[in-house]
Amino acid sequence: MRYVAPSTLEEASAFLVDANGNGRVLAGGTDLLVQLRAGMANPDTIVDVKHIDELMTIKEEADGIRIGAAVCGQAMGEHAGLNNTWPGLVEATELIGSTQVQGRASAGGNLCNASPAADSVPAMIAAGAMISVYGPDGHRELAVENFATAPGKTNLKEGELITSIKLPKPAEHSGDAYLRMTPRTEMDIAIVGLGVALTLDSEGTVTAARVGLGAVAPTAMLVKEAGDALVGSKLDDEALERAAEACRKACNPINDKRGTIEYRTKIAGVLLKRVAKIAAERAGS
Amino acid sequence: MAEKTYKWVGTRQPRPDGADKVTGRARFGADFDMPGQLVGKVLRSPHAHANIRSIDTSKAEALPGVKAVMTSADMPDMPDEMAPAGEVMVNLRDVTRNVMAREKALYDGHAVAAVAATTEAIARQALALIEVDYEVLPHVIDVDQAVAEGAPILHENLRTKNVDGAEDTLTNVAARIQFTKGDMDSGWSQADVVIEHAFTTKPVHQGYIEPHAAVASTTEDGQVQLWCSTQGQFNVRGYCAKLLGMETSQIRVTPSEIGGGFGGKTVVYGEPLAIKLSQKAGKPVKIVMTREEVFRGSGPTAAGAMDVKLGATKDGRIVAADLNIRMQAGAFPGAPVGPACMCSFACYDIDNINVVGFDVVSNRPKVAAYRAPGSPVAAWGVESAINMLAEKLGMDQLELRIKNAAREGTKTHYGPTFKDIGMAATLDAAKNSPHYQTPLKPGQGRGVAVGFWFNIGMDSSAACHVGEDGTVTLISGSPDIGGSRASLALMAAEELGVDYQKIRPIVADTASIGFNFLTGGSRVTFATGMAVVQAVREAIDELRARAAKLWEVDVEAVIWEDGCAKPAGSNVGDFEPLSLAEIAVNAGKTGGPINGHAQLNAQGAGPGFGAQIYDVSVDQDTGHVTVDRCTVVQDVGTAIHPDYVEGQLQGGVVQGIGWALNEEYIYNDKGQLENTGFLDYRMPVASDLPMIEPIIVEVPNPNHPYGVRGVGEVPIVPPMAAIGNAIAGATGIRMTDLPMSPPKLSAAIDAARVSEAADD
Amino acid sequence: MAKVILTRWLARQFTAGQIEHQVPGLTIRALARELEYRYPGIIKHLEDGVAVAIDGEIYQNAFLEKVEPNSEVAFMPPIEGG
Ligand SMILES: Cc1cc2nc3c(=O)[nH]c(=O)nc-3n(C[C@H](O)[C@H](O)[C@H](O)COP(=O)(O)OP(=O)(O)OC[C@H]3O[C@@H](n4cnc5c(N)ncnc54)[C@H](O)[C@@H]3O)c2cc1C
Repeated sequence: MRYVAPSTLEEASAFLVDANGNGRVLAGGTDLLVQLRAGMANPDTIVDVKHIDELMTIKEEADGIRIGAAVCGQAMGEHAGLNNTWPGLVEATELIGSTQVQGRASAGGNLCNASPAADSVPAMIAAGAMISVYGPDGHRELAVENFATAPGKTNLKEGELITSIKLPKPAEHSGDAYLRMTPRTEMDIAIVGLGVALTLDSEGTVTAARVGLGAVAPTAMLVKEAGDALVGSKLDDEALERAAEACRKACNPINDKRGTIEYRTKIAGVLLKRVAKIAAERAGS
Repeated sequence: MAEKTYKWVGTRQPRPDGADKVTGRARFGADFDMPGQLVGKVLRSPHAHANIRSIDTSKAEALPGVKAVMTSADMPDMPDEMAPAGEVMVNLRDVTRNVMAREKALYDGHAVAAVAATTEAIARQALALIEVDYEVLPHVIDVDQAVAEGAPILHENLRTKNVDGAEDTLTNVAARIQFTKGDMDSGWSQADVVIEHAFTTKPVHQGYIEPHAAVASTTEDGQVQLWCSTQGQFNVRGYCAKLLGMETSQIRVTPSEIGGGFGGKTVVYGEPLAIKLSQKAGKPVKIVMTREEVFRGSGPTAAGAMDVKLGATKDGRIVAADLNIRMQAGAFPGAPVGPACMCSFACYDIDNINVVGFDVVSNRPKVAAYRAPGSPVAAWGVESAINMLAEKLGMDQLELRIKNAAREGTKTHYGPTFKDIGMAATLDAAKNSPHYQTPLKPGQGRGVAVGFWFNIGMDSSAACHVGEDGTVTLISGSPDIGGSRASLALMAAEELGVDYQKIRPIVADTASIGFNFLTGGSRVTFATGMAVVQAVREAIDELRARAAKLWEVDVEAVIWEDGCAKPAGSNVGDFEPLSLAEIAVNAGKTGGPINGHAQLNAQGAGPGFGAQIYDVSVDQDTGHVTVDRCTVVQDVGTAIHPDYVEGQLQGGVVQGIGWALNEEYIYNDKGQLENTGFLDYRMPVASDLPMIEPIIVEVPNPNHPYGVRGVGEVPIVPPMAAIGNAIAGATGIRMTDLPMSPPKLSAAIDAARVSEAADD
Repeated sequence: MAKVILTRWLARQFTAGQIEHQVPGLTIRALARELEYRYPGIIKHLEDGVAVAIDGEIYQNAFLEKVEPNSEVAFMPPIEGG
C-alpha cells in the first residue's frame, strides 16, 4: 500500500489515474481508516488530499461560500460567515461523530462515502449546494442530489475528486435547518435525516423551499414535491401535512437492523414538520 | 448496631491504581507481549446450527508462517456431569464444546478451529484455508420457539432435569425448577383484584470496553504461564487445567488490569486455546478477540419470557403471586434461572407464592453471568406487574411496595426467613428523597421499581507484608474491577492505624497467594475484605509480640492503638509507644519478617435491596424516551469508599437504561448476528443519561468487621421495570417487551391512538 | 432439632414431597448425615453444588458450620454473580 500526499490537484488526479482503480482519496479518514481496519477496503494507493490548499480552505465569494472538500467539521463550525448564512448545514455537519471525529471528518468525505444516512448531505441538498469536481477531463460541476448513485457509489469517474462545495448566497429572509432521528443522542447513525431551506416574504409566506431527505432510500434525495407543498403557505398544518406526505411518499427504505420501513416512513413526515418550523423561525429573524 | 466512627473507612481517597490508569501506563490484557510470540486467531462458524462432518486443516498447516493449528480433537473430551473447576460446578462436557465445537456448531460465531502464526495477516489467511464440511441444520433463536413442539433439537443427550418421565423425550429444556410457599388456591380466593400479563426481555451483552485477551507461554517441562483479562485467575486456572488434562500447579495465571467484566469474564474462551496452541508451537501465543468476536462468541446475559400473575385485596395487600419464567441459556444449559426464580418476589412479604422456571437452550452464544444474573429479568415482569396492580387499585406505586415490603421475619418462597434487612429503610429513603417529593413537569412520567440480590461470600486469601520502613504491602487474589484495591487498603489502614498512603495493595497471580474465588457477585469488599482484616490482625499480633519482646513483657500487656504498640495499662511499665516503623526496622533482631496471612470461606453476606426512581419524557411522535432524572437508593451495609459505591450504583443504572431502551441482538433469518459492534448494539452514551443521584443507605452487616454487604449487583435489577413504569406514567401505555426502543414505543403509541379513536 | 427446608425437587425425588423436616444435629454435616440415613442418596445433593441458609444467612460450601438447636436451615441452589 502506497501513501502519497500531493500538493496540487493535477498530481492528485494523476496518482489516482496511475492506481488504475485501486487508489483512494484520504480526507479526514474517519470512514476510510475504519474500512481499512475492518478489511473492507484494500487500496494500492492512498492519496492524502489535505496538502492541497484549495481543498482545505473556506472562501467567501460574491455569490456564496465555497468550502474546500477536505475542510473538517470543526473548521466549518467555527466559520462565522457560514454560521450566519447556512446554520442548518453547520448543525448537520457538527452531528457527525464526536469532538474527536469533528477534528477530521469533512463534507467531501461525507459525500464521497455515499452512505444514504450521511448527515451533511440532506442539508447540502436543501441548500442547493453544487459540487466542483476535478479530473483528467478538467473541472465539472454538479448538484449534490445528483452525486450519489447507490449506497457507497458516486458518479465520480476514474481519476476524479471533489475539490469544493459551493453554497449559494441565500436570498433575504431565508433560513435552513436539519434534524435527524437516532435512538441514541450521539454516536449513532440516522434512521432518517431531513434538511429544509426556505425563504419567506415580508408577510411570512414561503416563496421558495427545498427539502433534502436522507436514510430512507438508496441515496439522499431532493423531495421537490415537499418543497412545492410549502411554497405559498404560512406553514399552516395543512401545508405541513401535505409536505410531510410528500416526504413519506418519497421514502423507499429497507427493513434493517437500523430501522423498519414503517418507522422510517413515519419519521420522515414527523421531521419535515419540525425542521420546516425551525427553518422558518430562522428565516423570520 | 451503634454508629461507629472511622478514620479511613468511609473516606474518598485516590485509588492506588489511578495514576497508572489515567496516564495509560496500566497494562490490560492485550498489552502483554512475549519475545517470539505468535498471533492466535479463531475460526468461527458462520452457521447457527450445523453438524461438523469434517475439518481439514492441512492447507492451513502447510502455509509458511503457520506454527500450529488446533481443533477440538486436540483437547480431551469430558464426561457429561457436574464437576468443580475453580470452585464453580460446571458441566465440563459443555464447557469444552463451548470453547471449541466438536460434533456440532451451535451458534453463529461458535469457535471451530484456531491457528497460531507469525503475523496476523498469515493467521487470517490460514483461517481461510481451513476447510470445514458443515451440514447446516434448522436453527432456533427465540426461547419460546425453542420450547415449542417440533423445534430443532440442539443436544440429543439433553433431558429435562426434575421432571418425571422425561427420560425418553428429546428437548431443549434442560431443567425445570419450582418454588412454592403457602397455598395458591387460598391466595387467589382472597384476592379482590388480579393482574395477569406476559413479559419478555432480550439477551444483552455486558459490554465491557476491553475485549478478551490472553497470552500463553509454555515451557518444555510442561509449565504454563498465562496472562489474561479475567475476573478470576484461579477460576481460569481451574478451567484450563480440567480442559487440557493438566495439574493446577502447572499453570500460573496472572490477571491483567481489567477493562470491565460484569460477569462476562468469569468463564474461559481463548485462554485454553492459547495454551494448547502454545504447547503445539513451542512458542508463546497471544489471542485477542475483536469486538465482533466478543459479540458473536462471548456470553451475553440470559433473556426471559414470562407470565406474571398477582392477586391483592382491595386495600393493597398482595395475597398471591405466580411466575412462570422460561430463560434462555444459549447453546448450553445454565441460564441463571435459579436466582431469577428466587429473586423474583424476594422484595415482598406475600403468603402464597408459586414460581416455576425453565432453563432452555437455543442457537445463541452460551450465556455468562451479568450483574445479579437472572434477577433483572424476573424484576422486569414482576415490577411492571406491581405497577399495573397499583394502577388498578388506585394506589401510589411506592405505597403499594411499602405496604408489602419484605421485613425481618418474612419467610421467602425459596426457603430462608429474612433477618434484619434493609428493604423498608430503602423504601423510606426513596419516599423521603427530594426526587420523590418533587412534582412532575407536564408530560413527564415517574416510575419506581425495587430489586434484590443475595450478595455472596466464598473463598478468599490475603497477606499483609510489613516492609522494613513500616510501609505495608497488601496482597490479595481478587482482580480489581470496581476500585477494590482502594477499599481493601482503607480497611487495612483502619486496622493498622497508619496512613492509607503507606499501604500498597496488589493483585497477585495464582502462584503468589492462596486461592481467591473470582471477583463477582459483589463479594470482594465483603469476602476478600474479611480476609484482609484477618491478615492485618495477624500482623498486628506479631507486631505486639515484637514490642513485648523489646519491652520484656507479656504480649497480653501490649495493645495496638493509632498505629503504635502501647502498654495495656500503667502497671505494665513506662514505655514510649513503638510505631509500626520502629518495630519494623528491628524485625530481623526480634524474630524475622513481620507478615500476616489469612484464608477463609466468608459466610454471612448480607442481602442487598435497592429502589430506583425515574422521571422520563416521551417524544410522542418518535417514541424516543429521555430519562430526565434518576435516583438510586440502596442499602450497601457500609460504604467503605463512597466514590466507588456511587460508581457501582451509577454504572448499574447506566447498563439498565441501555437494557431498557435500546440494547438487543439482531439476528437475520439464517440465525446470524447482524449488530456485532457498538454502532448498532446501542449502549447508552454520556449524553443519553441524566445525572444519576445515589442515596446510600447504610444498615451495617453484623457478619463483617466493617459492616459490608455488597453493592455491584442490585443496581441493575430495577431500571428496566422502573423505566417501563415511568413510560406508562407518561403515555398511558404499558410496554411488555424489551427493549422499549423508539420504533416499538412509537408503534404502541400509534396503536393506542387508533384504538382510542375507534372508542370515541 | 433444626428445622430443615428442602427444595421442592429434592423433596419430590427423596422425601415423597415433604419439604420441612425436624432434624437433630449441631452442624450442617450432621444434618446432612441424618437426612441421608432417612433418605438414602440425598447426601450428595446436600453437600455439593448447593447453598444453605442458616437462620436467613446464606452459606456456600457449608459443611462444618454450626447450627443452633432451633435453627432454620434451608438448602437452596448455589449462587454466583456477575
Ligand atoms: C465514530 C464515528 C462516528 C461517525 N458519525 C457519523 C455521523 O453521525 N454522521 C455521518 O454522516 N457520518 C458519521 N461518521 C462517518 C464519517 O465520519 C463521515 O462520513 C465523514 O464525513 C467522512 O469524512 P472524512 O473526511 O473523514 O472522509 P474519508 O474517510 O477521508 O473519506 C471517505 C470516503 O470518501 C472518499 N473521499 C474523501 N474525500 C474525497 C474527495 N475530495 N474526492 C473524492 N473522494 C473523496 C474517500 O476515498 C473515502 O472513500 C462517523 C464516523 C466515525 C468513525
